[in-house]
Amino acid sequence: MNQFTAGLFLLIFLALPPVANLLESIMVVHMHMQMPLLVIAGFLMAKLVQERFPVFFENWNSNGVPGILLFIIIMVYWMIPRTMDEALTVQSVAIFKYISLPFLAGIPLRDSWKKLGDKSKNALIISFTVMFFAMGLLYIMSPEQLCNNYLIIEQITLGWGFITMAACAVVYLIYSAVVDPSDYV
Amino acid sequence: MEALKLNFQDKTNKALGINEEDALITKTYMLVAFTALLIGGTLGLLQGLNRAGLLELPVWFNYYQVLTAHGLLLVLVLTAFFTIGYFYAAMSHSLGGLLPKVRKMAWIGFGMKIVGFVMAVIPILLNQATVMFTFYPPMAASPWFYIGLVFIVLGVWMCAFGAFIQVANWRKNNKGQHLPIISYFATGVFVLLFFGSVPVAIEVLYIIPWSIGWIETINVMLARTLFWAFGHTLVNIWYLTALSAWYVVVPKIIGGRRFSDTLTRLVIILLVIMNIPGGFHHQIVDPGIAESVKYMHVFMSLAIGFPSLMTAYAMFSVFEKTARKKGGTGIFAWFKKLPWGDVRFLAPMIAMIAFIPGGAGGIVQSTNQLNQVVHNTLWVVGHFHLTVGTTVVLTFFGISYWLIPYVSKRVLTPKINKLGVITTLIWTAGMSFMAIAMHWVGLLGSPRRTSYTTYADNATALSWDPYLMFLAVGGTLLMIGVLLQVYAVVHLMFFAPKGETEFPIADVEDNASKTPMWTESWGRVVVLLLLLVAMGYVIPLVEFIGNAPPGSPPFQTW
Ligand code: HEM
Ligand SMILES: [Cu+2]
Repeated sequence: MNQFTAGLFLLIFLALPPVANLLESIMVVHMHMQMPLLVIAGFLMAKLVQERFPVFFENWNSNGVPGILLFIIIMVYWMIPRTMDEALTVQSVAIFKYISLPFLAGIPLRDSWKKLGDKSKNALIISFTVMFFAMGLLYIMSPEQLCNNYLIIEQITLGWGFITMAACAVVYLIYSAVVDPSDYV
Repeated sequence: MEALKLNFQDKTNKALGINEEDALITKTYMLVAFTALLIGGTLGLLQGLNRAGLLELPVWFNYYQVLTAHGLLLVLVLTAFFTIGYFYAAMSHSLGGLLPKVRKMAWIGFGMKIVGFVMAVIPILLNQATVMFTFYPPMAASPWFYIGLVFIVLGVWMCAFGAFIQVANWRKNNKGQHLPIISYFATGVFVLLFFGSVPVAIEVLYIIPWSIGWIETINVMLARTLFWAFGHTLVNIWYLTALSAWYVVVPKIIGGRRFSDTLTRLVIILLVIMNIPGGFHHQIVDPGIAESVKYMHVFMSLAIGFPSLMTAYAMFSVFEKTARKKGGTGIFAWFKKLPWGDVRFLAPMIAMIAFIPGGAGGIVQSTNQLNQVVHNTLWVVGHFHLTVGTTVVLTFFGISYWLIPYVSKRVLTPKINKLGVITTLIWTAGMSFMAIAMHWVGLLGSPRRTSYTTYADNATALSWDPYLMFLAVGGTLLMIGVLLQVYAVVHLMFFAPKGETEFPIADVEDNASKTPMWTESWGRVVVLLLLLVAMGYVIPLVEFIGNAPPGSPPFQTW
């Protein structure tokens, strides 16, 4: 199975109503599992798209910056509580979710990642880490229920999901700062 | 210069065998491990006889004390000491001898584990820690029991960090090379030992003030969850240790080559990354976890089946290739060409075969509805005597017949080999009787962790008796197996004829493709491991803590 089919299968699988219902029934799973998996689906499909439309990517994303900006915008958009709520209640937003995450985040991410330098990559990881800590605190501290569809305890869980992911990113950043791979390999 | 010196050391090490100081570490660890087998096995026999209604245990050493000691000795002491002793010898062999610093850490770790173990055992003997090896709150033991456990964990960490230092040092001096496969297994095991014992350390540090009375209540669900994050990881540590022998040692013993190096390393990485969240399959009937969350955790548990299937494929492929090279033909060529009379092969081979029903039973138990049928019955006890009691333990036995001669500079005589074959067969027969009886009677409802009772001559309870008799028969055979095995270990360590025994490590195929370098980036593996832990644990832990019930004071239920 090539990557494109794998990605397409993943996208279709995630869109199956029982799967979607299960994943969307838990707030943190909705945001930290379903959505990243959709991005991964796009990431997998990207290869074929890149091969088919090399000129397009060359023209519009030659240094990787536009692509990564698009990725950031889409990711940030889906971190807003209200968008998650709408994805559950408004059909067109739900469809937008299934299109935007794979095709407007996953594909540009793959096309841009290789074009970015080490510094930009680290800058991107660091800014997402900071953002995750901030979002985590927001979801944990908020005294109000932010989504109609999810209880406060779910919101707190999501907050801790953000914090633990950010903590993992910090471990990674420290590791790559402290350990010089050329000492070992 | 430094590198040259090390290279020289490496060569002498391989030519002359293990140096005295490194050997002493492994010999000591092995002695403790097999002493635990002797005592633990004896206690197992007492339990077996009791469950069959043949033996009433005295009040000063009751069934549950025996069970606590049996569990702790076999599941913690035997396995931990064996694993550490084995992998320290493996690192000494494949990484050019242990660094003096690392050797010291292994001894400090040894001391801490022994001190901790004594601290934990005394309250068990005094009937003040009859909490079984899972020590679930709100049952509360004497604080000394838990303090002992803390020391054991610290001792294990000492050994884990010793291993990390040894491996990092080797890699600095051997840039561009892959860590030798056996030490790669060791690294995986020590990474799991370290990260897996973090949760139980947290649990115990939470229990201690509660058992002393400084805090009044404890969050029972939180404690259970932390326990199984560790307990399940421990299971995969044994499994990974057994795998190291299957992938690396067995092919050498049968005169073949080992399976693809890249895939072997991939199996290790997968097991290390995916393992810790699997702990939830021990909590399938626990309250406080949403059904949907449990459902998703089933995937996590079953995912472990993937590397297992890869292993089964790998093993058969190695057997097949080896047999063909030796001139075997037909579909069952591999079967005829294998050295069945060699205990170093026979024991791990039966271990692998036992893993087929063992693994199948595991899949059964991971299923919600079926789990409700077998939970806390003797079925479960049958399951882990197949998996740890047979698969893991027989692999350990098989290892002991070359590892102990290797570290004591002696040789395995044909007589001891024969004895080993007999031990293996007795163990297989004993475990078959015992495990099948346990599975079956468990399905009929007989509970685990319950000393013999007929429930006032209740008809159902009486119908269990014939099966329990089989259990006792199996237990008696196993006791004979224990005695023979311990005899073999002592003989090989102190009395067998002097000579050189090699540490059997198979080579890869000549035309093997090069292993990619990404397999060496342990930092990334650890980050992925932590991410999966976060994915698995954030939801239930926030629920348990955020919606916590009032908590429970300590109880002494016995
Ligand atoms: C001489 C061989 C053995 C015999 C006769 C034996 C027998 C038993 C019996 C009858 C039980 C108690 C069942 C119950 O009431 O719940 C038990 C429990 C157990 N056994 Fe064994 N066993 C043997 C070897 C082993 C080995 C080699 C291991 C592991 C390496 C092991 C691990 C355990 C564990 C973890 C428990 C559960 C303790 C608990 O529920 O707290 N046993 N064994
Ligand atoms: Cu488990």
